[in-house]
Amino acid sequence: MLVWSRSGRLVIWVFFALIFGVLFLAPLAVILLSSLADQWNGVLPSGLTTEHYTDVARGAAWNSVKASFITGFLASALALVSGTWAALSLRLQGAALKRLLGLLFFIPSAVPSVSVGLGLLVAFSHPPLLLNGTIAIVMIAHFVLISAFTFGNVSAGLARLSPDFEQVASSLGARPAYRLWHVTLPLLAPYLVAAFGLSFALSMGELGATVMVYPPGWVTLPVSIFSLTDRGDIFAGAALTMILVAATLILLLGLERITARATGS
Amino acid sequence: MSAAAFTGSGVTDIDAAKVRGAGSNVHFDKVVVAYGSHVVLHPLTLDIAPGEILAMIGPSGSGKTTALRAVAGFVRPASGRIRIGATDVTDLPPYERGLGMVVQNYALFPHMRVEDNVAFGLRAQGADKALIGERVKDALATVGMSAYARRYPRELSGGQQQRVAIARALAVRPRVLLLDEPLSALDAQIRRNMVEEIARLHRSLPGLTILYVTHDQTEALTLADKIAIMRDGRVCSHGPTTDLYRRPPNRFTAEFLGRANLLPVTVAEAAGPKGFATARHGDAVLTGAARDEKAGDKSLLCIRPQHLSLTADSEHTNRIVGTLREVHWQGELTHLVLDVDGTPMRVSATKLPVALPERGASVPLFFSPADTSLLPEDAGV
Amino acid sequence: MPPAALLALLFFYPLALIIRQAFLDDSGVANAAEIIRVLHSRFFLNALVNTVTISVAATAGCLIVGLVLALILAFVPFPGSGFIARLIDTFIALPTFLVTLAFTFLYGSAGMLNSGLMETFSLPAPPVDFLYSTWGVVLAEVTVYTPFILRPLLAAFSLVDRGQIEAASVLGARPLRIVRQVILPAAVPALIAGGSLCLLLTVNEFGIVLFIGAKGVITLPLLIYGKAIQESAYQVACIIATINIALSLGLFGLYRLAAGRLGA
Repeated sequence: MLVWSRSGRLVIWVFFALIFGVLFLAPLAVILLSSLADQWNGVLPSGLTTEHYTDVARGAAWNSVKASFITGFLASALALVSGTWAALSLRLQGAALKRLLGLLFFIPSAVPSVSVGLGLLVAFSHPPLLLNGTIAIVMIAHFVLISAFTFGNVSAGLARLSPDFEQVASSLGARPAYRLWHVTLPLLAPYLVAAFGLSFALSMGELGATVMVYPPGWVTLPVSIFSLTDRGDIFAGAALTMILVAATLILLLGLERITARATGS
Repeated sequence: MSAAAFTGSGVTDIDAAKVRGAGSNVHFDKVVVAYGSHVVLHPLTLDIAPGEILAMIGPSGSGKTTALRAVAGFVRPASGRIRIGATDVTDLPPYERGLGMVVQNYALFPHMRVEDNVAFGLRAQGADKALIGERVKDALATVGMSAYARRYPRELSGGQQQRVAIARALAVRPRVLLLDEPLSALDAQIRRNMVEEIARLHRSLPGLTILYVTHDQTEALTLADKIAIMRDGRVCSHGPTTDLYRRPPNRFTAEFLGRANLLPVTVAEAAGPKGFATARHGDAVLTGAARDEKAGDKSLLCIRPQHLSLTADSEHTNRIVGTLREVHWQGELTHLVLDVDGTPMRVSATKLPVALPERGASVPLFFSPADTSLLPEDAGV
Repeated sequence: MPPAALLALLFFYPLALIIRQAFLDDSGVANAAEIIRVLHSRFFLNALVNTVTISVAATAGCLIVGLVLALILAFVPFPGSGFIARLIDTFIALPTFLVTLAFTFLYGSAGMLNSGLMETFSLPAPPVDFLYSTWGVVLAEVTVYTPFILRPLLAAFSLVDRGQIEAASVLGARPLRIVRQVILPAAVPALIAGGSLCLLLTVNEFGIVLFIGAKGVITLPLLIYGKAIQESAYQVACIIATINIALSLGLFGLYRLAAGRLGA
């Protein structure tokens, strides 16, 4: 509607395709290609193979897929409960307290992840809270980093929820707990699912805090990818990255499906 | 409409007797609502009789919705008490007040089917399954939505959603039904039908007490037994609907409820035993229904546009002369605007003289004393 | 409120300890002189300059690319542009280092671009060598953080009255003039909010810089990691972390202010 001539539009679209291709499409394509590459010395790989994937599936890398999934799931679940709880109870507070606490809940998202890891190392390396070297400290790091996102998503959902639903429910005789379980939470479900999906994705890709605190037996995908590429094994690194990307995308799309069906939109 | 089934003679229906005769009265006792120092409801004292439809109308910000929300329990009065039936509900949470509520945008729970929406209140109160099933069936039948029980709200039209919302409120057998602008989200045509349906519904559930908040005077006039007109957080007038329309106690009421011509007059002779006083407007001597006006009082003579006629008949003993300014033909009605010594007089006529006068011509207007009402001249409440 | 207590224990308490630790040497004795030494050290100043340069350059890049892409997506749409917008959106959820890894294959010394150029022009050495410099990091960050600009911009553009643009066109205004006078004013709040968010995120970025692994390109987060994990110099790490956190919180305040203006 801004450019009316056909040729003008074509030029603009080619320009768009160029930017989009170079910045967004090429990286994804090239990772996919390299994860399947046999040898790559020229412009294009000399052959294709699924060897890197089978290597990855057999080797220690499989453990990092597992570690990432478990960490992501537990940290996201905890963040979801805590974020929803926080958002719901903040609603009952006065405006000033609400603003202050709301801000505090967002701060973890603003602090560099490496510093979060450093803080956990400093705080939990001595008794009585000796967590350094445990899996728990990885979970905690991920929980802290994603808690702001779940809180933000749920708060946004609550803000959009018309108070009419809950008020009508009350007037019909629903006590607060019944109302929360049968009205508020189901209506928030799309936001809860979105929050969980985003947390999970962020946790799966988390690197900064994890490299600070991870114990030897709990190497997450990003750490594993880094050590592979650092050793020069970039094809295996690419294969593992593809697994990470695929898992993230499947997760996000799947959750979107579920939400769409649940809300019927 | 199978409202008879709804009001219920079923054997399992233990509350049937209680409900049939049994809307509760609502009593506002000097209820004040304030947000901080901002008072939105000045001491409000008002009664709604059992089985009565009270329409609260007024411009936005007049406190009518606040009054309804105070009954529902969403707004806590700063002082004063609210009683429903014999119970003082002022300190009760909303879920213990035994009400039904319908709001402007229906607020049907989108994740529940129609039948689950209607069952919601009973389930929340822990009623047993058989009773819930029967009540849901009855409530849906009452609003003519039985065929839609398995649908989701998003699959229904606005009018259908509103019926379900009403069924949901009725299923709990509320002591009082609160309707908060229930029709203002609907198209004009559907709104007219729904008004008539609510009227029918109330005829079939005569025990149901209804507090109906609206800004639409037509809804109020059609439905209400009594009307309370709100203005700036106060009740500006309150009374049976026809009385309030025919004999508005003040200027705001006259102009808010229907259209009104207000002709300034001076009372010449106080009301006799039949309740009619004589008043002068310029040279014209007019007779109007009076309250306690005394001779010499400045007053306003209220005449509704449809009661002014260009042709005289035996009832029309009052006559004034104005200058014809505008004529708008609208099919069923013709609207005319005349100027009577600077006061515009609107006429809605179904009958016109064979030869319609020209604009600018002097035209006599006739009206019956029975269709008039004298009211105080001051603009205040 | 349990969530607040949890966050206080797991986040704010460690944060406070970082600041305390900045004043204590690694054996636990108070030592403020170390702070002065670190603040004047070459490695710190170098990292600070790098961090700020990369952050500002990447944000500027994101703003330009984001604005161009958003303008096209919103006002010169093509079949599938909605899908493309969502595809770019999913980049927010992908790990940041993915792009760096891809860039190695694309622009690395043995990457596609260099191989192609060397084959075509029979060059003895790879001609393109920006990846292992500040600019490699900047380009990677532009890719990763452009979606954060695109998202609020598209939201803002969806509110621009189409009739206004058509009216301006009918009155003979050229596209550039319409962009300048009708569209851009509507986009300014979104640009400010998105831009300050980009500044914050690029200051905090770790994965991209780590993966590129260029010797000369050390930023504050990378320095913290190096000092704490590789050198076990915790006091130094905490001093740098304190400064980094202060910088981030300042930018966070800026972002909240901008987003508040935006009504977000």
